[in-house]
Amino acid sequence: MMQTPELYASRADPHTVATFRALVDAIVPYTPELAAYGAEQPIGAVQQHVHEYMIWSLDHTLTLVLDYYPEIVPLAAPTAGLLNAGAAQLVASGQAKYAAQGAIAGSPVPFAALSPADRIRTMAILEKLQIDLGLLPPPYRDDGGLVKFIIDYLNRGTMFGNYSEWPGYGTTRLNTPTRRRLEFFPIGWRQTGYPGVSKGYRAVRGILMTIVREGGKSTIV
Amino acid sequence: MYDADVIVIGSGGGGAVAAKELGEAGLKVLVLEAGPFYGNKKWENPNSERGGEWSSSYDDLDVGIYKKIYTRYENNMNDVVSGTFRFGPADRRRTPWHRVMRQKGDIWQLAGVGGTTQHYWSQSPRAFPSAVDGVWPISYEELVPYYEKAEATLPVQFSPTAPKEELFYFAVQKAGWQKNPTLNVTKPGYRPNPNAILPPNPHLMDPKYPIDQLWNMDGCTMQGHCVNGCTAGSRVDTIAKRGTLVSYVPLALKTGNVAIRPNSFTIRILTEHDPKEGLRAAGVRFRDTWTGEIGELTAKAVVVAAGCIETPRLWFNSDLPFNSWVGRGLTNHCFDWVGGVFDEKDLMGIMGLPAVYPYMGHTSGARVDIPGIGIFQVSCLSPGLMAFLTYGFSEAGFDALKPPEPGAPWNIHGRVVGPALKELMMNYNRTMTYLLLTDDETLYRNRVEVDPILKDENGPIPVVHYVPSKKTLQRRDQLVKYSCESLKAAGAKAIIRSDTPFAFMLHLESTMRMGYVVDTNCEAYQVKRLFLADNSVHFNGIGGPNPTLTTQALATRTSEKLAQKYFA
Repeated sequence: MMQTPELYASRADPHTVATFRALVDAIVPYTPELAAYGAEQPIGAVQQHVHEYMIWSLDHTLTLVLDYYPEIVPLAAPTAGLLNAGAAQLVASGQAKYAAQGAIAGSPVPFAALSPADRIRTMAILEKLQIDLGLLPPPYRDDGGLVKFIIDYLNRGTMFGNYSEWPGYGTTRLNTPTRRRLEFFPIGWRQTGYPGVSKGYRAVRGILMTIVREGGKSTIV
Repeated sequence: MYDADVIVIGSGGGGAVAAKELGEAGLKVLVLEAGPFYGNKKWENPNSERGGEWSSSYDDLDVGIYKKIYTRYENNMNDVVSGTFRFGPADRRRTPWHRVMRQKGDIWQLAGVGGTTQHYWSQSPRAFPSAVDGVWPISYEELVPYYEKAEATLPVQFSPTAPKEELFYFAVQKAGWQKNPTLNVTKPGYRPNPNAILPPNPHLMDPKYPIDQLWNMDGCTMQGHCVNGCTAGSRVDTIAKRGTLVSYVPLALKTGNVAIRPNSFTIRILTEHDPKEGLRAAGVRFRDTWTGEIGELTAKAVVVAAGCIETPRLWFNSDLPFNSWVGRGLTNHCFDWVGGVFDEKDLMGIMGLPAVYPYMGHTSGARVDIPGIGIFQVSCLSPGLMAFLTYGFSEAGFDALKPPEPGAPWNIHGRVVGPALKELMMNYNRTMTYLLLTDDETLYRNRVEVDPILKDENGPIPVVHYVPSKKTLQRRDQLVKYSCESLKAAGAKAIIRSDTPFAFMLHLESTMRMGYVVDTNCEAYQVKRLFLADNSVHFNGIGGPNPTLTTQALATRTSEKLAQKYFA
């Protein structure tokens, strides 16, 4: 199961990659206007490859016995399909604020053709089930509970990928987890001012109260 | 002939306690655990190699192996898909074990020796007496000696004050809460958390002792990130945060009567018909998670401590007798999460410090208890976990797409995305966050069942369903109001209510309730010699306090009752 990022990425379908890039870009965008606060602040989730984190996670999250033996059920491509189906419905219903109908028509990745705000709006109509569930790809078709679950996951998963140390695994980021190695101090940690993991801090500011145990009984002092 | 006196299924918050107590009573105990055993010479590379089969010696424990695996990195440790801490097989190339949940949320449960206590924050309060007396089939008074024993064994101590606790005390005093120095909470007030964490190393504040040296001595080093795995200590059994992997498991092994088999998923409870006792437990069937081989073991009694989801799943998949309450009555403290962003000058005025330092000290070190409503506790996490819990995880949808509620005590409600998220995360170091734990009403409809179609290698998989009652939601709103008031009183410039999804499962309880599925000894009514020793036996959500200590007190009591009844 040795797996290089190149090998894994070469298997990923380009429409899925484009959709997930558009997703993580809407949640944690590139923000040149924040450069005044530090050179690292503009960097967004796409620059940190967080779309790859999301694709890898969704493709390694589910095993079911479908026929005679357990099989991995990849979820990245169907989830990209869900976002694209949602985008098409947003545009068709006239709810998209910025996209012209023409820009979306015929696009294999309508979600990526939308403005960031309309991508968020797409997720909002999906999680509120203000869509035709029958037009979604399996396993989401006619399963509103699963749609709610996954839309929420797409948001928190992107944030966890971006602000945890995952991007710091660099060239090993898509290896099997035990073979990932931290190659640089994670940018998300620099952006937040988190100093990294620690062996200890001289941070005791006081003790408010203490439990004293004698003869099987506790008293508080 | 039997393979053991007692088989214990699961080695988490409850199972490890049962193993230790039964071993000390002189019984021969075998423990089956689905996940890996970290910090043990029999499994030097537990996530990539099969290693040994059983560990039965205290000398197998190895703090070097433990510290190598517990890297403290939040994604490596706590990624629910691929992390060191997850509900899945030891082999991290494989996927986690799936549970069906058709609603927003997530389940934080871990497989492995120590179970979910490997990443718990170790809050160890007792139940609110008002949630037990006249409600449970046993009294609070009946529990007290077992609380005392579990508290002394772990041991439990009040948290020291780190900067975030100092700010929290300032905030809640400003909001009018009184100090409440007690373990038996009968009125509202604030106090440090009773946590299962060793007191700070007495030399911690002495610069003559380098931090590297203190990290290899005994006592808390305030390293933060309890949730990402504690690593302060000289031996496995003196690690500062007292998850059962480092507390009850070493004590169990020390008895010489306990053997633990990790990587072994129990798939069936075996029963027999006894002419006098009727249906009774006689053993278990399990699956080796590395080889897929099936094994069976027999014993005179079985203790199930597989957790609030797997325990009812095992009941269903073992075809045990029908009971309409098996898997029913799930409670979860219907959490919320509230944060406040502070200005540097305000923090300087309050503490003489420019930041909250959310990464220092216990993950959670102080609380306000409000019997009848719940609890809010200061709780601060590393940035990846903080980002998703504060800004990415919500029942309410996206903040930017909703008009602000008139008169709401918060500035932000729900998810924050785009440039606004990045600006808020730049203030991570000056943000204090609270976890809110609601006194959750027990409802029959909230449940764990098994899917009629979907299966994994261990059988039909669990389905979890949880929708809180109106009363629970009213209490939760009240806790949010109190939380926001205290943040505002302390001068927070922005207040965020994340509106956490109801099914963020951290404190699952009461799916095999005492009085419905088990008797007051926690023995199943319908299957003799089958005892339960996890959160599932709680009659309710104990009023809101974190449930682990109550499970540990009950597991201590259940072990005593089991030994008296069948081995006297």
